[in-house]
Amino acid sequence: MRFTISREKLQEGLAAVAASIPAKTTLPVLANILIETSDKGIRLSGTDLDIAVSTEVAADVETVGAITVPAKKLSEIARELPPSPVKIAASGEQRITLDCGRSHFKILGLPRDEFPAFPSIRFSESWRIRSGDLQKLISHTSFAVSTEESRPILNGVLWELKPDVMRMVATNGHRLAKMELPIKATGAPSADLIVPPKALEQIRRLFPADEELEIARGENHLGFRSPFTAVYTRLIEGPYPPYDQVIPKDNDRVAIADKVALTSALKRMSVIASDQTHRIRLSFNSGMLRFSVQTPDLGEATDELALRYTGDQLDIGFNASYLLEILRYMPTDEVRFTFKAPERAATVQPEGWNDSATYLCLVMPLRLVD
Amino acid sequence: MARIAVLSSAVADQIAAGEVVERPASAVKELVENALDAGAQAIEIAVEDGGRQLIRVSDDGCGMERDDALLALERHATSKIRSAADLVGVRSFGFRGEALPAICSVSHLVIESAAADGAGTAVYAAGGSVTDVRDVARRRGTTVSAARLFYNAPARQKFLRGTRSEWRSVLEAMTSIALNRRDVRFSLTHDGKVAFTLPAARTLRDRVAALWGAGAADRLLDVEDVRGAIHVSGLAERPSDVGTASRRTFLSVNGRVVRDTGIIRAAEAAYRSTLTAGLRPSLLLNVIVPAESVDVNVHPAKAEVRFRDRWIVERAVEDAVRRALGTFDASASLGVRTWSPGGAWTRPGADVELLRPASREMDGLFQPVSGEEDDVPFAARPGDMPPEPAFPALVAATEVAMDVIVPPLLQLRRTYIMFEHDDGVVLIDQHSAHERVLYERFMGMLERGEAPSQRLLFPLTLHLTPAEGEAFEANRTLLATLGFEVEGFGGSTLLVHSVPMPHPRFDAERCLRETLATLAGDRDAAAHARHERLAATVACKAAVKAGDELSQGEMRALFVSLAETRLPAHDVHGRSTIVQLSWPELERRFGRQ
Repeated sequence: MRFTISREKLQEGLAAVAASIPAKTTLPVLANILIETSDKGIRLSGTDLDIAVSTEVAADVETVGAITVPAKKLSEIARELPPSPVKIAASGEQRITLDCGRSHFKILGLPRDEFPAFPSIRFSESWRIRSGDLQKLISHTSFAVSTEESRPILNGVLWELKPDVMRMVATNGHRLAKMELPIKATGAPSADLIVPPKALEQIRRLFPADEELEIARGENHLGFRSPFTAVYTRLIEGPYPPYDQVIPKDNDRVAIADKVALTSALKRMSVIASDQTHRIRLSFNSGMLRFSVQTPDLGEATDELALRYTGDQLDIGFNASYLLEILRYMPTDEVRFTFKAPERAATVQPEGWNDSATYLCLVMPLRLVD
Repeated sequence: MARIAVLSSAVADQIAAGEVVERPASAVKELVENALDAGAQAIEIAVEDGGRQLIRVSDDGCGMERDDALLALERHATSKIRSAADLVGVRSFGFRGEALPAICSVSHLVIESAAADGAGTAVYAAGGSVTDVRDVARRRGTTVSAARLFYNAPARQKFLRGTRSEWRSVLEAMTSIALNRRDVRFSLTHDGKVAFTLPAARTLRDRVAALWGAGAADRLLDVEDVRGAIHVSGLAERPSDVGTASRRTFLSVNGRVVRDTGIIRAAEAAYRSTLTAGLRPSLLLNVIVPAESVDVNVHPAKAEVRFRDRWIVERAVEDAVRRALGTFDASASLGVRTWSPGGAWTRPGADVELLRPASREMDGLFQPVSGEEDDVPFAARPGDMPPEPAFPALVAATEVAMDVIVPPLLQLRRTYIMFEHDDGVVLIDQHSAHERVLYERFMGMLERGEAPSQRLLFPLTLHLTPAEGEAFEANRTLLATLGFEVEGFGGSTLLVHSVPMPHPRFDAERCLRETLATLAGDRDAAAHARHERLAATVACKAAVKAGDELSQGEMRALFVSLAETRLPAHDVHGRSTIVQLSWPELERRFGRQ
C-alpha cells in the first residue's frame, strides 16, 4: 500500500473517524484506525463495536492495500505536520512509514485482519432523508434520553419512520421530548427504530445539513450513508413504552410565558433548590406565576413573573433542572405550558412556531408537601 | 430468760463489717481509698492468697499521730467530715468512719503510721480490740496490714471463693482505682509476684497503655465534651475494633468510681447504627457534674450515685461519645496508629469551673475552607448548562457545598475513593459512605415527614411474594414518607407512581424490590425501631454499589455529603467507611523510620 494525500485531507478524514475510537478498550485493535485504499482515494474507519464510522477522502493511490495504525498517534502526527503532501506507505503487514517534507515517521500498527468487520447492510432497500431534517429531530429530542442502566430501552431514542412523517421520542421516565416532521413519501416500509444517542450525535456532527442520506436496516444494525461517509450503529432491541398513552390530551389549564424571563427566574430559584431534587413550587394565578422554593438547612426564595394563564388556580412542583433543560431547546420566544392537576403530566410547546415540525415536551411533577 | 438482748459492740461491728467489707477486694478498696484520702502519691499493695491471708497497703500520705491511730479504729471516727452539713458535696472517698473498724473487727490488724519520717506508732488489734501499741521507726505515711480476714466470721469465710476468683476481684478493684487516680503511683503484688507497677500518668490514655499495653490504648478514641455544667471525658472504643478484645468499662462521676448502667447505656446508644447487633464497646468515662447535683451517699460501698436530673447527664454522655465517634480518628486504621503521650496534666476531679469548653472546630478530615479558597467548580451547577444543545453528560449535576475543602480524589477498583490527608493515606468505601449519607438523609425525611418525590411517566409494576406483600403493608406509610407513592393493585402486585430521587443513578424499581425482599426476610422488626431499619435498608439498596464508576463530580459530592454526616466513619451495618494508612506506618514499611 502506498499513497500520497494532502495534509488537510488527512486531517479531515482523521477528525471524522477519531470520535468513534474508544478511549479505553480491552481489544487493542479498536484503538487503531483502519486505512484502506479505494478507487477514489483512501477510506478511514474506526469503531468501538457499538458504532462504526467510515469516511473516504481523496488521495493519489500508487499501490492498493490496507493496514491499521494507532488512531491517537496518527492524529497527533497529522496535526503537527508541515504544509506539504504526505506520503504514506505500508512496509510489511504491521508498519507504515510517513513522509512529509523533511519529517519522517515509522509507526507500528496491526494487520488489517484483526480489525472487526462492519455490519453487512444492504442499501438497496433504503430510506432517503435530508440530513438537516434528521439533525433537527436529533438535537431537539436526544437530550431527554435516560442514562440509567436499569431500563436499557430508555437509553435510546425512538425513531418512527412512516411513509410521510418521521418522529423522534426520547424519555427518562420523568420527562419526554417528541418531535415530528413531514417527509416526502418514499417507497420504503415503515419502521420503529431505537437508536443509541451516541450514534445520533455522530450523525449530527458528520453530515452537512443539505446532504441526502441513505438509511438502511440490517439484522440489528442501522446504517447511514452519504457519498463519502458512512455511520453504522447497533440498534437497541425491545418494545418502546407506549409513550402516546401518557401524553395528556385533556390538559385544560394553559400558561403562555416569555422564555427568557422564565428561564432567568428558574435559574434564580435553582440557587436555593435542593442539590438532589432541584424542587421548586410554581403557583399559577390569572396573569401571574409565583415561584417559591424552600430547602431545609439552606433557606428559601420567591419570585414572580407576569404571564397569560387560563384555568383554575394551580400549585405544582417541578424539578427546576428539567424545566430549564426543556426551555433551552424551545425554538420560540414564547412557550406554552398545559396542566391538568398537581400530580399529572405537564406539557411544554413552542408558541407561535412557523414550522412544518411539531414539537412537544412533557415533564412529570414532583410531589409538594404542604 | 429475756428473749431479746442488745448485741455487744463487737458483734454489731462484725455485722456492720459485712456491709462494707464483703470480700478481700472490698477491704483492699477501702484501705487504698484511705491512703488516697491521706494524700498519698505512691501506694504499694501486697496481697497473699487472694487477700485471705494478708492484705497490706502502704502509702506515703500524711500519716497519723498515736492518738489518731487509736481513735481511727473506733466506729464513726473520721477525719474527713465534721458535721452532716459536710456530706453535701463531700470530696473525699471515705467519710462514714466505718471502713477501718469494720476490717479490724474481722481480722488481725496492724497499723503502722508516722506523720513525719522517724518516730511512728504501731497499733496491733484483733477481732476489733486493740491488743498492743508500740513505738516504731518508719518513714512518713501509713501501712495497714489486715491478716486472716474473716477469721472470726465463719459465715463470711465459708462464702469466700477460691484464691483465683478473690484475686481477680482484687485486681479489678485496683484497676478501677488506678484508672481513676492516674496521678498516683501504684504497685500491686500477689504472693510476691508483681501484677502491675504503674507510674503516675499524665493522661488516661497513658494509664490505659501502662495497664493493658499500647495496643489497647490505640483502640480507644478520646472523648471530651462540655455540655452546660457537665463535663464528659475519657476514652471510647473505635467501632471497627469493638468485639476484637475483651470489653472493659469504667465510669467515674466527680472522681468517684461508680457503677451506673444508665450512663453506660447512654454511651452505648451513641454507637447506634455503627455496630453489629450484640456487640458492646469498651468505655472508660469520667463524668463531672456540679457537686450539688449528685448524691454519693446512697450505697455503703459508694458504688452508686444518685443524680438530681439523670436525663441531662445521660444526654451529655451520649452526645460526647457520638461526637468522638464522628471524628476522623474514629475511622479504622491499617497498622500502627501513633498516639503521643502528652496533653495537659489535669487531675481527675478538677473543679468544673476550671474546665475549658471543648472547642467545636471541625474535625481534621473535613476542614472548613478559609475565605479565599475558590477552587470549587461552578461549572457543575445546574443553572449554568452550556447554551448549545448538548448530549446529556453522565456527570451528575453536583453542587458542591462551600465549606469543605475537597482534596484530589482517586477511585480504585471502582470501589474505593483514595485521597491524601495530613495524617496519612485515606480510603473511603464508596458504597458504605453513600449508605451512611443516605441513611442520615432518610432518617431526616422520616422525622420531618418531608421527602421529594418524582411522578413517573410510566408507573412501575412490582410483583411481590406474600411475605414481601406483608412487609410492604407493614412499612406502607413509612415508604410513602420516603417518597414511594404506591397503589396496591390486587394482592401481590404494586403499581408505583412516584419515587424518591436521592441521587442521579438511583434505580427506584430495584431499590424498592430489594428493600421489600430484605424486610420480608427480617424476623425481629420491633415497632419502635422500624423506621431506623427501613431507613438503613433503603439506604443500603439505594446507595451506589461497589463497581460503579464515579465521575470526579460524583466523588466530590459524595465526599462533601459524607463530611456533613454525623458519623462519617461508620456505615449502617457497623462496618467502616473510612480506613487510613498512617504516614508513620507507611514510613516504617519503606524503612524510612
